[in-house]
Amino acid sequence: MASIGQILLAGLSLGSVYALTALGFVLIYRATNVVNFAQGEFLMLGAYFLFTFVEGAKLNYGVAAVIAIGMLGVFGLLFALGIYYPLRNRSFLPVIIATIGASIMFQNGALAIWGSSPERLRPVLEIGGSGGVTLGGVFFNYQYVIILAVTLVLMAVQYAFFEFTLLGKKTQAISQDKDMARLLGIPVTGMIALTFMYSTVLGGLAGMLVAPIFFLQHNMGSIPGLKAFSASIIGGFGDVRGAIVGGLALGVLESFGGAFISTVYKDAFAFLLVIIFLLVRPQGFFGEKVGEKA
Amino acid sequence: MRMATFKPGHWAILGGVVAVALLPLLVTGRYNTNVLLLAGAWAIAALGLTVVLGYAGQISLAQASFFGIGAYAIGLGTVHYGLNWWLAFVLGLVVAVTGGIILGATTLRLGGHYLAMVTIGFQIIFTLVMTNWSALSGGPDGITRIPRPPFFVPLNTAQRYAWFALAATLLVALAVHALRDSRLGRSMRAVRENEIAAEALGVDTVRVKITAFAISAVLGAAGGSIYASGFLYIAPDTFDFGTSVQFLAMVLVGGRESVAGSVLGAGLLTFLPEWLRELKKIYLVVYGSIIVLVIVFMPEGLWGFVTLLSRSLVRPTPIPPARGALPMGGGRPAGEPVLVIENLGKYFGGLKAVDGVSFTVRQGEVHALIGPNGSGKTTILNVISGLYAPSFGEITFLGRSVGGQRASRIARCGMTRTFQNLRLFRELTVWENVLIGAQRAGGDETAIRERAASAIEFMSLTILAHNRARNLPYGTQKRVEIARALAGVPELLLLDEPAAGLTQSEKQDLVEIVQQLHARGLTMLLVEHDMSLVSQLSHHITVINFGRKIAEGAPERVLAEPAVGEAYLGNREAARA
Amino acid sequence: MRRRARFLIAIVAGLAVFTASRGAAQMGGPIKIGQLLPMTGNFASSLKMQRQGAELAVEEVNKAGGIKGRMLQLVREDDKSTDPGAVQAFQKLIEDKEMVAVIGSIRSTQILAMLPTINEAQIPVMIGGTNFSLTHQGSRWVFRHRPHDGFSAQVMVKFVVEELKKNKIAIVHTSDGFGNGGRDEVIKGLKARQMEPVVVKAINTGDKDYTAVVTAVKNSGADALVTYFTSTSDLAIFATQAKQQGLLPQMTWIGSPSITTTDAAKLAGDALVGTYGIGDYDPTGNPAAQAFQVAYKTKFNEDTDLFSAWTYDAVHNLATAMTRAPDLKPDSIRAAILAIKKRMGAENEYNFDERGDGLDHYYILRNEGGTWKVLKAVHVERY
Repeated sequence: MASIGQILLAGLSLGSVYALTALGFVLIYRATNVVNFAQGEFLMLGAYFLFTFVEGAKLNYGVAAVIAIGMLGVFGLLFALGIYYPLRNRSFLPVIIATIGASIMFQNGALAIWGSSPERLRPVLEIGGSGGVTLGGVFFNYQYVIILAVTLVLMAVQYAFFEFTLLGKKTQAISQDKDMARLLGIPVTGMIALTFMYSTVLGGLAGMLVAPIFFLQHNMGSIPGLKAFSASIIGGFGDVRGAIVGGLALGVLESFGGAFISTVYKDAFAFLLVIIFLLVRPQGFFGEKVGEKA
Repeated sequence: MRMATFKPGHWAILGGVVAVALLPLLVTGRYNTNVLLLAGAWAIAALGLTVVLGYAGQISLAQASFFGIGAYAIGLGTVHYGLNWWLAFVLGLVVAVTGGIILGATTLRLGGHYLAMVTIGFQIIFTLVMTNWSALSGGPDGITRIPRPPFFVPLNTAQRYAWFALAATLLVALAVHALRDSRLGRSMRAVRENEIAAEALGVDTVRVKITAFAISAVLGAAGGSIYASGFLYIAPDTFDFGTSVQFLAMVLVGGRESVAGSVLGAGLLTFLPEWLRELKKIYLVVYGSIIVLVIVFMPEGLWGFVTLLSRSLVRPTPIPPARGALPMGGGRPAGEPVLVIENLGKYFGGLKAVDGVSFTVRQGEVHALIGPNGSGKTTILNVISGLYAPSFGEITFLGRSVGGQRASRIARCGMTRTFQNLRLFRELTVWENVLIGAQRAGGDETAIRERAASAIEFMSLTILAHNRARNLPYGTQKRVEIARALAGVPELLLLDEPAAGLTQSEKQDLVEIVQQLHARGLTMLLVEHDMSLVSQLSHHITVINFGRKIAEGAPERVLAEPAVGEAYLGNREAARA
Repeated sequence: MRRRARFLIAIVAGLAVFTASRGAAQMGGPIKIGQLLPMTGNFASSLKMQRQGAELAVEEVNKAGGIKGRMLQLVREDDKSTDPGAVQAFQKLIEDKEMVAVIGSIRSTQILAMLPTINEAQIPVMIGGTNFSLTHQGSRWVFRHRPHDGFSAQVMVKFVVEELKKNKIAIVHTSDGFGNGGRDEVIKGLKARQMEPVVVKAINTGDKDYTAVVTAVKNSGADALVTYFTSTSDLAIFATQAKQQGLLPQMTWIGSPSITTTDAAKLAGDALVGTYGIGDYDPTGNPAAQAFQVAYKTKFNEDTDLFSAWTYDAVHNLATAMTRAPDLKPDSIRAAILAIKKRMGAENEYNFDERGDGLDHYYILRNEGGTWKVLKAVHVERY
């Protein structure tokens, strides 16, 4: 029983990482209809930025995190200007390839800057030796608890932002009709740049939080990036709640697939179920079925 | 005279043959020769993506898995099971086609990002299975000592095999290029441009998409087979997601709709990392940024950029002259029922868009369907043409019950239509648009071309034939839609608000066109707001309000009915008419 | 007529001088050795160590006067961490006709991929991949600078079963050529003692969560765990989770060489305390290793590990062979390498056999308070 609990918890923990990364995906998609395959690299960059200030410059953890977040914001702005802006009126395919090109660039740039050895970043909380607590035979890793909490808080904040604030409504208006939004006097370009900055920060935050568990490596973002994309698809693309539910579902699926089916085929199992799920319910958990009018 | 028949296409073939003959001679050393034949193998698989992505517009991030299927068919077949190379090759193609059909079948329900997801999943599952199912695949160690194919001459040197690989690439390139302007290729591009319009013109979009995936899978596997015998060793990690992404990048960087572009992209992205090797650590950074720059600055890829520069130099071949008048359907005595609608209903959830409508369209008449905004006219048209399934009721077309059938099936029975909001194949030329319409009536390519040419002439579009549809003014685009529908020689033509957005003189032209068509015996069902147009053109009117029929009959009589006037709130227009 | 003759003589003489000087340059010019390195891709983590080990050895050889009066020069190519990448990089290296030998990959799958090309090229390739089959396929041109997995499994099974008296063995391995090979050899070793593993679990490179594996091992009732991990980060994540979920203290863990790498120590920290590992390299294992450690630390200010040790040894063995060989023809070098006996390298004592295997030892180590202590060196019978 304890082992079932442990497996479930592992799934939720992994899922929360996917969910947090998926949030960034969804935000950019909502604002711009762009699928950003470089989202996983933001995760990697966030981790390395924080690592550089904590382990390299020996700054206080909090101060280092604030500086890293600032840098991520700037990075997001540059990304929006360099990749999104020139491609804003093109179909989704070139944009996907451009973001993949960018991700090759970032990954190998990081390899050139930070080197090839994996690095370790200390966890946010360092109480006791094990980095967690065992309750009822189930080990709770503090870092995962923090990730889950951060994910849920961010989800709530984002949900509230979109539903209850003027700025959030404006963002939604942009995603629905850019020209109309422009006519309504919404500064579309600025708002989109802001979205990219925030999404980059979100991705980077996910990286900072997983770095103590996954370790830092130039390719650490590619798998979470791909899984986060799947998570947002399951959730119903472009839905904030869907990204969370999709991420957690994917994590749990993987974890139980690993435990009860096969450890090496767990990803295959997870993807197979995702495909079957999509065939049955093409719009995902929360997506709305959009019929095309003739 | 002889020289005159030597067209640009022939020059391209000649150039290709010369390139295939010379490249292995010019490229020296085992290493460069290997990169060359690798480029050939990759180009073949990339050409598969040209078909599925470039022509049919469906994204696939699983091309590396088909490449892997072909490679493993050769590896397993020849090394593990001792099969003849060509037999193993064919078996690989068969497995790939099956996989392609399965993947293509998912497009029945999924498109866009969702399709991307499904293909990624397919790809990841393939890699995992090949890595871990050692009994099947030889496991992560892969398969070594793969033989070269038996051929008329022994392919025992890298150079000879490079000739073989490049010759295969050229053949595939020519075939894929020929596909582009074939019936199937045009249908694929129609699906890419506008699936609903393609379906309504009789293109079986499901079959076309599945065929595209199957062709793409076959080419992927063929490339993989050539790769396996070129490299002599295969292992699962060569056929992973990263490789699929690379195939996609090749096609997009080169130019997705052209064969030359895909070959160029494959060649470039194979050689580029080799050229950039000198940069050591940062070469992949440069590689990534080159991809981004090409995508940003050359929207149609490198080849698109080249053709853009040379467009003024190449004159398009003129369309064939129209022989004889535009053929018309019919042949039934006037007044015989063509389309019979009985108690038709269409509910969207709780919304009763159409609620028990009956009417009959008879041979030779212009039947108008009118009613205020939101009354359900267009919904009726969409149900008749098969875009929506009816909730209840009967639709009988030419004596056959067609209610609930797919639009392409109904179209093939002899019904074509135009759309209220234009649904042209925007990136295609007028000529191509009309050719696709002409395919409905069947016959060989000559017959299709003749029909298309007459339809274009009838609609006075001849000088615009080689313009892209999206570059034309609105009114002209509406004429192209009618030409496209007419080229299919329909028994019944549905016109969905043909006059909307037209200028007064364009409306007058439209009236003349419809009158001419009527004079030639074409049956038409017209949905229209413009009452003066309706009263000028129609012989029979059915009035719809709130999804129900409120009046029917000859124009003068119907328009005078008080219920009709009431329906048009503030019924000045009706009264004036 | 005479003028033309003089002109011709001038040309011929000029050509002769030119060729002679070229020949002289070639005689005195550097001896080129190629090195395949994972500069990019998933296995780039071992790049620096492998590069520096070879670099140091080349420097030492050159300081001591080089070989036959010529200096050694390393030419590096990126193998992109992939199989085709390795084959291409290898072909690129041997394109240069002056290349006398290549220091190949440490990854077995890449060497398997290169084997047909190596056999065709007929050039000595120093390899670090430990998959049993590499030297058992009849290739004359690969020379292994690490003991193969058949030995490692033998050593581990012997130690766990006979010395630690454990009899319920669990196996966890990476699902790749290295891990699967190790698994098969361990099972073979157990079978020879009439035993079966109680549980066998495979993982994929890059997995981040090992709860399922840890749980399965825990529930199997195993008293000892034998692991074959390819990637050090995977091993470190596994170790951390195994410790957190209470697997470790209750069970004896002995891991394949990746457990003793510096990166593993850096990443997993105290999670590895109390575990056993086997290693073909230890900085304190023998005098040659100690000297290597000092020289490496002085030059790079880092500690040595097996990645740096094997390339270091490969260069030195190659240099020794080239010095002893009458000329630098591939066959002469090959004969000279095979003639190397009882040469102590950083790894251990090299005795090349006909198949090209140089080593037959393993150290058994124990992690005591975070540092690895050599318990003993075990030599096994070759096969």
